[in-house]
This record gives sequence, C-alpha cells and structure tokens, in this order.
Amino acid sequence: MKRKFTLCLTAIFMLACTLLPLLAACDGSRNAASGYDTLVIYNWEDYIDSGDSEMGRSDLRDEFERYYENVTGRPLRITYTTYDTNETMMTKVLKNDANVDLICPSEYSIEKLLLAGLLENHNDLMKDIAPQLADIEKRLDGLDKQKLGEQELADIEQFDASLGGMSSLKNNGDGSIEPKIMSVIRNMFSNIEGVKGAEGAVDMTEYMVPYMYGTLGILYNTNVISEQELENYGWGVLWNVMENEQLENKILMKDSVRDTYAAALFYLYEYDLLPEKYDYITTAQELINLTDPDILETAEEALTSQRDHISGYEVDFGKDDMLNEIVYADFAWSGDALWAVEESEQDDGSFLLGYYCPTGVNPNTGKERFSNIWYDGWVIPTTVKNKLAAMMFIDYMCKPQSAIRNSVAIGYSSAASKELLMGDEYVKSFLEDQEYDFDEYFDDIGRYPKIDYNLGVMRDFGARNEDLVNMWQRAKSGAGVDVSLFIIIAAIIGAVAIAVALYFVFQALKCRPRRIVSKRADNSQK
Amino acid sequence: MTKRTHKKLRLTKKVFSFPYILFLLLFVVIPLVLILVNAFLDSENNLTLDNFKMFFGAPSSLIVLGNSLLVGVITTALCLIIGYPVAYILSKISSGKIIVLLYVLPMFINFLIRTLATKAIFIAMGVELGMGTVLFGMVYNYLPFMIMPLHTTLSGIDKSYIEAAQDLGADKATVFLKTVLPLSVSGILSGITMVFIPTISTYAISQLLSNGKIFLFGDSIQLSFEQGLYGVGSIMSIVMLIFVLISNFIMNKFNRNSNAVRRSLW
Repeated sequence: MKRKFTLCLTAIFMLACTLLPLLAACDGSRNAASGYDTLVIYNWEDYIDSGDSEMGRSDLRDEFERYYENVTGRPLRITYTTYDTNETMMTKVLKNDANVDLICPSEYSIEKLLLAGLLENHNDLMKDIAPQLADIEKRLDGLDKQKLGEQELADIEQFDASLGGMSSLKNNGDGSIEPKIMSVIRNMFSNIEGVKGAEGAVDMTEYMVPYMYGTLGILYNTNVISEQELENYGWGVLWNVMENEQLENKILMKDSVRDTYAAALFYLYEYDLLPEKYDYITTAQELINLTDPDILETAEEALTSQRDHISGYEVDFGKDDMLNEIVYADFAWSGDALWAVEESEQDDGSFLLGYYCPTGVNPNTGKERFSNIWYDGWVIPTTVKNKLAAMMFIDYMCKPQSAIRNSVAIGYSSAASKELLMGDEYVKSFLEDQEYDFDEYFDDIGRYPKIDYNLGVMRDFGARNEDLVNMWQRAKSGAGVDVSLFIIIAAIIGAVAIAVALYFVFQALKCRPRRIVSKRADNSQK
Repeated sequence: MTKRTHKKLRLTKKVFSFPYILFLLLFVVIPLVLILVNAFLDSENNLTLDNFKMFFGAPSSLIVLGNSLLVGVITTALCLIIGYPVAYILSKISSGKIIVLLYVLPMFINFLIRTLATKAIFIAMGVELGMGTVLFGMVYNYLPFMIMPLHTTLSGIDKSYIEAAQDLGADKATVFLKTVLPLSVSGILSGITMVFIPTISTYAISQLLSNGKIFLFGDSIQLSFEQGLYGVGSIMSIVMLIFVLISNFIMNKFNRNSNAVRRSLW
C-alpha cells in the first residue's frame, strides 16, 4: 500500500512538472492584482528608451506609469512584450491571440491589420473615454496644489485632456507630428478601400500615430568609397557599377524581401533599365509599389546579376561587419546606419563610416534617384482593454521630451515635428546632457532627410506578396542547380576511385609472393 | 463499481510514461496534424490544392530542393570518407576510446557557437564565404555523428573473424573487403542516416557560413513561414518529412539485408 502511495505521488509530481510550464506558457489572464490598471504594449525590440544609468536616464515606461498614477490617481502596471519582425507580430494579431492594448507596426502591416478590421479608430475611442477624461479634469481641479510634490505638479502640468499630440484625432490637425511626414502618409493611405466591417474608403491616419521613421540608403566605408563615387553612381554602388576592386564581394544586402526589392527598383530606375512601358513613372511612390510580373522579372534579373558582386544577405550583423571592415558597403536602414556611424568615430575625430541616402540626378543617365521612407506607428487593436491608458500612452510618446529621449536611445528619427523639438527647452538641455551638438543633431541629413517625391512609402502588396516571395527565392537560390556541386561530387568519386586503386596496386606489389601464415598466427602457435 | 474505479486508477509503471506521451501529443502529433491541415488551406482558410500547384509548379522551389539534396549527399559522402578511416584506426588502438571522446567532445558545445566561430576563422583567414565554407561547416558539424556509430561497430567486431580470414590466406585488402567492411555495414548505415537526415533540413549553417548566399530547402521553409505563406511552407515541410521517411525506410531495409550478410558470412 505504501509503495502504491509513493508511486502515486511520484506520478503526480511528474505530471505537475510537465504541466506547470505548459500552464505558465498559456497564461493569458492579464488580470493583475486588483487595484491596478494594466496596459499591455506589443512593440519592436529595443524600440523605446529603457533607461541608461550611465547617462542618467530612467525607463520611459516607468515614467509613464508614474505620470498615469499622478494624473488619474490609479496605479498602472505596464506589461511589455516585443517582436522582431512585422510578420511575427501579424501572425499573432491576425490569429487573434495577441490580447494587447497597443502595437507599433510598420506602415504596410498597419494597412494589413486595418484591412482585416482589427484596428480601432482613435476618434471613436476618444468618444468612449471622454467621460473618463472629464473625470480626470475634475479630479485635478479639486487637488490641493500646495500639498503636491514637484514631480506630481510637473506631470499634472503636462496632462492635456484633448490629447493634443495625437495626429489621429480630427481636432488636432497634425498634432505634434512632422507635417511633411503626415502629408506623405495622407497622400498614400488616406483612402483605403475594402476595410473589413467598414463602408467606403477609410482614412488610415485616423487609426495610427507615427512614432519613428527613416530612409533606406547605403552605409559605406569612407576609405574605400569616395563621396565622388557615391555622387556619380548612386544606387549603382550596391552593384559595384564602378568596378571598384576593393569593393568586389564586400557588399551586404538586406535579407528582407521588401527592402532588397526596393533597392533593385531604385537601381533599375536610376540606370534606366526598366522596360519602356514604365516610362510614365515620375515619383518614388509609383515606382516602389509596382508588383506586376514584368517588373518582378526585371528585378529578379537585377538581383541575380548582383549576386556576383556581393558578399551576402544579412539583417543583423551588417553593422558589426562594417565596423570591423569585413565588408565595405551595406544597404541599411537610416537608424542602424546612424548608430554605426557614431560608433565608428576614430581617434582623430573623423568617422570611418558614412551614410548616404541617394538623391539628386545620376550624371551619367540623367535619371533621378529615389529612396524609400518608412515609418512605424502606434495603433490600438480591437482587443484593447484599457482604452484610456492606451490613448494616454500614445499622447505621452508624442510629447517632445519622450520623442527626443526615444530618438536618442534607439537611434531612429522621431516622427515628432522637428520645429517643435527644436523649440523645446527640455530637448535643448537633454541633448547637451547626452553630449550631442544641438545644431549638428538637427542638421544631420541622414537623421532628417528632405521629404519630397523622391522618397516613397511602400504599401502592403496583398495577394501579390506571394509572387514577390517566389521571385526572392529564385533570386536568392541563384539561377539553377549549382554546377560546382556536380563538380564536387565528381571530384569526390574520382578521389575515392584513385585512392582505392592505389591501395590495391600497392597491396599487389607488396604481397608478392603471398604469405600464407600471418605473423599473429605464428605467435599464437608458439 | 468500486472494483471498476480501482482498476481505472491502478498504478503501474505505465503511468510514468503518460507525461511524455502527453508531451508528444502536444508538441509532435498536434503540430504535424496542423501542418497537414495547413497544406490544404489558403490564406482565407478555404480548402484548396493551389499550394501544391504553387510548390510543384514553380521550378525555383524544386531547384532549391535539388540543391539541398545534393549538399546532403556530398556532406554525407565526405563524412563517410573522412570518418571511416578515422574510426577504423581508432578501433585498432587501445586508447581509441579516449581519442573518440576527443572527437565527440565538440558536440557538447552548441553548434551555433561553433559555426559562428568557424565563420570568424574563415573571415580572419580571408576565405571567401560560399559553397566551400558551407560544406566545410556541415562536415565539421556532422562528422562526430558518423564516427560514433562507426567506431562502436568496428570495435565490436570479433577479432577471430579477422584472424580466421588471415589463417585462410587472405591478404590485407581481402581481409578488409571480405570481413571488416561487410561486418561494419550496419555502422555505416546508421552513420549515413544520422548525417544525411539532419543535413537535408539544415538552414542555420548554410545561412551563416555563406551570408545567406547559399539558399537551401530549410531556408526556403523558414522564408515561407516568415512571410505568412503557411500553405506552401507546410507542403515543403511535408516534402521534407517524406524524404526523411524514405531515407529511413531505405536504411532499415538495408540494415535487415546486412544482418543477412552477417549471418551468411558466419
């Protein structure tokens, strides 16, 4: 009986051991201890100022928690989860198992989520939370300002019941977002047809608030590539058009379909290699949203021909390889590039690396250079639980001090209006604290590119995406079966055949005349 | 009634396998079923056969598959050619077991770390990354899987067979070809299985050691899933599984035959 009991216990224990981690993994309940409000944020990795004790910065998320508590009088707990690609995030959200309050995807994913009817219109949310905001105002008016600490007063001072920073609210105009960026977005995304559960066209700008933005360009080694070469050859640098011997096989492309496809299109346009029927194209926007079979074929040829000149495709190690001078040119996102340029400061104060976003006209072909402008924005999915906190968080992120802190911490350019940032006292003193030169910071063309028709936004390719991925697979695998493989196989077979033949020849030579009794047999007989 | 419940709850040694069976169900069987279901669904979850058309109709995916199989065959062949003599020599010397341990020790280090280190060495030496480095990485990673079973089989061969062959007047080559080689067939087969099956599905090694320039079937599957093309990705996974099953089946068949060889030899 006792044995059985022990057996039973062990079995239960083992079951528990297997089940507990499972249960923990499936823990979908976000009901924090009562008395707490919760906010679940789903963001890119390293995409918010998470504090830096050396530079005297605290975690922006903690600061929002404090701000929220000081304003509403209720404590808040942020649950922060991250993803590394838009696709990972979309898989989760489209299958409805994300259960989050806030997401920060890229423009084309926002479009996709919107089309699936998974996003909330911020104006509708504003109506829902209007009574709560009114309550907060009433509460703040009733507070005895004398008794409050400095921090609490500062937080209350910052609160604005109209959430004026958010560009998505109709009354706010562009909010604190850069008007030029908003005009690019409006131009592309203000009339989205076919949104699930909506009649007629939908204005996507009412569903999202831009957070960070950047361009695509070339991160280059200043010792190998001269500025003259960049000016003369533009995107052709990535194809090593100038036949710079040092650069041959020292170029990295992005291992990401959309970006590398865009690079191919820019190159084709600049060098006038597109089929004639695309002569009507005059803006970057038109160019990078082409996905018909002809253009895919042309792009595939360009990418296949590029294979002979490049070292390979990467998404993460490019910056390090550039800094270590393993490669000399990298097709890069501006934020990454600026980070790498800053890291590459040499002893004499000059920079080893530079970032170039091709613009202007190619002097040889007379064609213009285009590039891509991308942005990430805050959206609120339909699974939102704490509408007030979500809206307040977006508004908080739009404030100049949050914008500059995030921008400095993660290296990307904040979508907040440049003018607003430059006029803000906090921004000035903060940049000084972080050892930046104020004018240099805002004049950097890599950080604040000129936004006009030369920069295009890429939309979601929808059903055409599969064709694009197939094209990408073909381009990556090369034209056909690698001939060198057959040569290797033949070589192996040949080597084995020769080895065996030699072995037998030697045996035949050595063993004549044959010895009938071997040595060992001799020994054992003794 | 009481008797029945008693019977139901009876604890035997079997009970201890339940946690693992549950684990298998959750993480092996259910995912396999999901893959099978996904293969027949399009992006709107309607039943369709388009995924098959897309995979088998596109030469690109078949080229990638062919490339992967070739790389697998080459890796396996190289592992066998390098591994067999090593295992043979090690089985003959008395301290062989310790040396085998030295061969196997690197296996305890995570293969990603080893591959990254290999890459760093190649870059330091100025070797251009490409097919050559990928093959090197694969052989380096899977060689222990070849040596281990070979060594076990070779050192397990009864010496008296060899002596008998020598007594009967066989020269060294004949001894090797007529006794050692046939007796080690089972080791060769399990070595091939252990190398070939993982190599056709690798993707990290090829990606790292060629900077993504060499694109194998594993990379292709990863790309499909990453891009949300679950249907095609599932079909590729099924194709891969079928290849694994086929090679397993062939190996088993051979193995049985090799047992017959052993018996007839005796």
